[in-house]
Amino acid sequence: MTQIVELLLLLVTLTNFVVLGTTRLSTCIRAVAVQGVLLGLLPLALYPGGSLHTWGLAAGTILVKGVVLPRFLRWAIREAAVRREVEPRLGYVASLLLGVAAVAAAFAISRQLPVLEQAREMLVPVALATVIIGLLVLTTRSKALVQVVGYIMLENGVYLFGLIHVERVPFLVEVGVLLDVFVAVFIMGIVVFHISREFDSLDTTRLTELTD
Amino acid sequence: MTWTALLALAVVVGMAPLIPGIAAKTKARLAGRRGAPVLQLYRDLARLWGKGVVYSRVTTWVFRMGPVVAVATAALAACLLPLDGRRALITFSGDFVAFASLLALGRFALVLAAWDTGSSFEGMGASREVTVASFAEPALFLAFVALVLATDSLSLGGALGGPLVQAWPAATPALAMVTASLFLVLLAEGARVPVDDPATHLELTMIHEVMVLDHSGPDLAMILLGHALKMTLFAALLIGAILPRASLAPLPAIGVLVAGLIVVAVAVGVVESVMARLRLTHVPQFLTAASALAALGVILLLVA
Amino acid sequence: MIPFFAGLATIVVAGLAAAVFRRRPTLADRAFRGLIVLGAVAAAWPAVRVLAGGAAVEVRLRAAVPGGDWVFGIDPLAAFFLIAILLVGAASACYGAAYLAPEAGHRPVAVVHLLTALEVASLALLVAARSVIPFLMAWELMAILAYFLVVFESERDEVRRAGLIYLVSTHTGTLALIAMFAFWGQLGGTLTFDALAAAAPAGIGAALIFTLALFGFGFKAGLVPLHFWLPGAHAAAPTHVSALMSGVLIKMGIYGLLRVAQLAGAPPAWWGWLVLCLGLASGVLGVLWALTQHDLKRLLAYHSVENIGIILIGLGIGALGAHFDAPVLAAIGFGGAVLHTLNHALFKSLLFLGAGAVQRATGTRVIDRLGGLARRMPLTWTAFLIGSVAIVGLPPLNGFVSEWLIYQGLLRSAHLAPIRAALFAAAGLALIGALALACFAKVGGAVFLGQARTAPARDGREAGAGLLIPMFVLAAACVAIGGAPVLAVGPALRVGAMIGGVGAAGAAAAVGPALGRISLLALLLATLAGGLWWWRTRVLARRTRGVAETWACGYARPNPRMQYTAASFAAPLAAAYGQVAGVEVVRQPASFHTRPRELVLDHLAIPFWSRVRGWAVRLHPIQHGRLWAYILYLLGTLLLLLLYLALQTGGARP
Repeated sequence: MTQIVELLLLLVTLTNFVVLGTTRLSTCIRAVAVQGVLLGLLPLALYPGGSLHTWGLAAGTILVKGVVLPRFLRWAIREAAVRREVEPRLGYVASLLLGVAAVAAAFAISRQLPVLEQAREMLVPVALATVIIGLLVLTTRSKALVQVVGYIMLENGVYLFGLIHVERVPFLVEVGVLLDVFVAVFIMGIVVFHISREFDSLDTTRLTELTD
Repeated sequence: MTWTALLALAVVVGMAPLIPGIAAKTKARLAGRRGAPVLQLYRDLARLWGKGVVYSRVTTWVFRMGPVVAVATAALAACLLPLDGRRALITFSGDFVAFASLLALGRFALVLAAWDTGSSFEGMGASREVTVASFAEPALFLAFVALVLATDSLSLGGALGGPLVQAWPAATPALAMVTASLFLVLLAEGARVPVDDPATHLELTMIHEVMVLDHSGPDLAMILLGHALKMTLFAALLIGAILPRASLAPLPAIGVLVAGLIVVAVAVGVVESVMARLRLTHVPQFLTAASALAALGVILLLVA
Repeated sequence: MIPFFAGLATIVVAGLAAAVFRRRPTLADRAFRGLIVLGAVAAAWPAVRVLAGGAAVEVRLRAAVPGGDWVFGIDPLAAFFLIAILLVGAASACYGAAYLAPEAGHRPVAVVHLLTALEVASLALLVAARSVIPFLMAWELMAILAYFLVVFESERDEVRRAGLIYLVSTHTGTLALIAMFAFWGQLGGTLTFDALAAAAPAGIGAALIFTLALFGFGFKAGLVPLHFWLPGAHAAAPTHVSALMSGVLIKMGIYGLLRVAQLAGAPPAWWGWLVLCLGLASGVLGVLWALTQHDLKRLLAYHSVENIGIILIGLGIGALGAHFDAPVLAAIGFGGAVLHTLNHALFKSLLFLGAGAVQRATGTRVIDRLGGLARRMPLTWTAFLIGSVAIVGLPPLNGFVSEWLIYQGLLRSAHLAPIRAALFAAAGLALIGALALACFAKVGGAVFLGQARTAPARDGREAGAGLLIPMFVLAAACVAIGGAPVLAVGPALRVGAMIGGVGAAGAAAAVGPALGRISLLALLLATLAGGLWWWRTRVLARRTRGVAETWACGYARPNPRMQYTAASFAAPLAAAYGQVAGVEVVRQPASFHTRPRELVLDHLAIPFWSRVRGWAVRLHPIQHGRLWAYILYLLGTLLLLLLYLALQTGGARP
């Protein structure tokens, strides 16, 4: 089981790097879709007991992250007519190198954190790395949709942290799905206001215009 | 057991022209064509060797020396790899560095030969060649570092031999990423798609081909052989990392190497059919991704 | 020690002879060259004996000034550097005699020869000094003499500016060194190196000493970001002075760091890491900035920054090995640094001398105006090619051997758990090597190969024997160390072990067997290439050999100006690295060129200097010119000192 968990976490890290290094938006979206599926399979690998809670979490995650969100994003691409990333603030080579540095730092820092149990040796570092890489994508890319992908990766990283305690936190499923709905609202906002370039500011007070 | 190592060297050098042929044939078949015969490069070499040569007025001994150095360094680098699975002809601590430096010497000689012609196309090819190489070298060295960490051995003979057999079960994910990185480096050093297209006719899109435009006759034969040998060496390095053959007897090990080289050639052909050539400004990105893969492998080995 | 001092005296006499006999040029030249070589050999003799296994020698002189005895001695570390100094110094001086001969009519050439001889002597004294006062005196002498040598062509603005920047930089570094020695000497009692070693500083004291040493010696060595004086000074100086500065002067910074590491004991771990990271940064940035230069000598100067980076990588590994009690790692790391110092001194001065020959022959240093010189200057080209292959670190020459040794240090850090992350530096070193290959392919190709791009390059003539012989002596040394690395690696490992305070046996056993194989590899390479060349020539004798224009896919009439330029060659790499490469692209309707800028000088050093000057201007009112006020200042200071003394001794009295 540990080997399957390690393999899944390794593939999650590789999808992070795909998002960092690619210029095409469709590849970004495919990568987070794959990441979503992997994240859905992780609770089943971590807790092979298979309680209803674990199965529900897995199914919900795969459905929302692996199917629903990517479809929303692809619909948003069509509506806003964007194809490729242009002029990111940080070049691709530098992004890849920073990604490697983030993974190394995550492994180094995780050694010091008092949260490790056995078979969680890779979970915390990969979670931390995903969070950092998600933040990197969120802040350095200029197309709004790629920023949304970065946000999804950040949220995936937080979800990975949460997997350590999935047996004890009953509301994780609801909270996770809620965050995903938030992202869907983001995307609809992009489409509705035809924002194909970057947001001028990430000022959330603007989102209040959506209500009413 | 030196004779098995010599036999393996002879087999690899003899097989070298076959590898680009198999790759081209695979690519042709996947495109629905019949393609050139697999042994075409042998015929090309024989034909070129029998021809006369034309030299430019502008060139000096540097131009004539370039192909000679390219072949000599590739052949000498082959002596450093444990081709029969057990031992290399020349082994010493830190011979990774010698392997990479010998191939770099060959590249330096060809680049100077390109400058010697005084032509802008060759200069352009030389410039692109050194740019690609400067991004591929760190990836290659990170792969070496991962092998050193996994096998605790400082020479190629050790890192690709017995200790690697024991290292694979424990460090599978890391070594898998290292071999993926080595495959990408193979594509770069062998001047294959997605880094350079060996079948293009447009000089402005070439990297390696355009650097050697002015060579003719036996010189061109030596360059083609040297290039095929370099690609075969990287494929042999890749096979050595994936399939450590130290537990086999030497002759079956050589057989496994031959089969592995053919498989790698087919894989290169498949990749060439599936991928398009990258824009030149994206090649550094591609090779940085190879470095990132190898670096991830090293990180995993460091924390294990 | 007698031969050593006699040798130095002979060198000084050589300089005096050049000055005294300046009206009779042939006699002056012969006397200068002969005496310099004689002096160098005599002074090197004790060094060779020490390295071959003899005991270190020493002599003590009672000094009239406070600060302990003046001790001079040659131990293995000093011996290694001494050989580099004397070999490169003698070669550069002899070269300089021939190089400056055409200018004897209108410039103070004889004075330059005197100053060069004095400079070599002061460098030798510096490494032989084993107590603080002689060390600092030799250091200052070396720096001042170098300044006068740099501003030889003082009628040019950029030369004066480079000289000023050099002077300020070297004195800032010296200030840090004085502070370091003052603090350390206070810990140790007297100011001899033995006393400093016995003081064994620890904790905050050690941190302070190592930081000041890194700053002071790093400034002299040309460590990024303290390198900004280097390119200007090395480009402005006459060529043989540039060779001396790049080959030997900046190595005195390395010598200082190694001496401090030896005397102060195991450095702190953070210092080792800092040196390693700064070394990597210097290596990568140095060669990147070198790639984009248009001036041949500035390019070579930036390469010196890169090689200092490589030396510091070895030094960092050695320091980490010494800290964590790993004798093999310490010996290999420090040994690799020391060996690369010698090798770099050899091939960098060779390259500078070659660049000087090119400048003499064509009158220009701009790479994109040259070309095709290999036909007109074949011997210079051969020497330059040997230097290029050596500096890129390719077999079978000496650059490969020292880079291999440093790689050994980096790869062996896998055996030592706390520092395994240093393995990533191996990828950095590979990047440095690949970029160096690109840079020297650019230089060699654009300057010597192809066709001449302008008229001066077309008319270049081969350099005279006076210029060629020193070059070939250095080239022969490169080939010798490359083909027979055991000559140099053994002593280097012993020196490295001595610096780290460990035994050399472990390192020698780990690395020794490989040396024979490296020689074998060099031999096989030469044989294989030679054999193939012979076979090819035989085959071609029976085939038709045609001569035509360069084909280049069908250009009917290629023109020398259509050749690829050096700037275009470097353009893809400069573009891939973006802003860090410091290249400004100037686009105008009818022209397009790139202008490399010195980033640290423009963005850090000059703004900092302007701010310091702003504060200094505020102190200006003190200097008002009134004599009585100055006397009052003196009186005030005297009273303060008396008060201080009174309080000091007053406190000690019971």
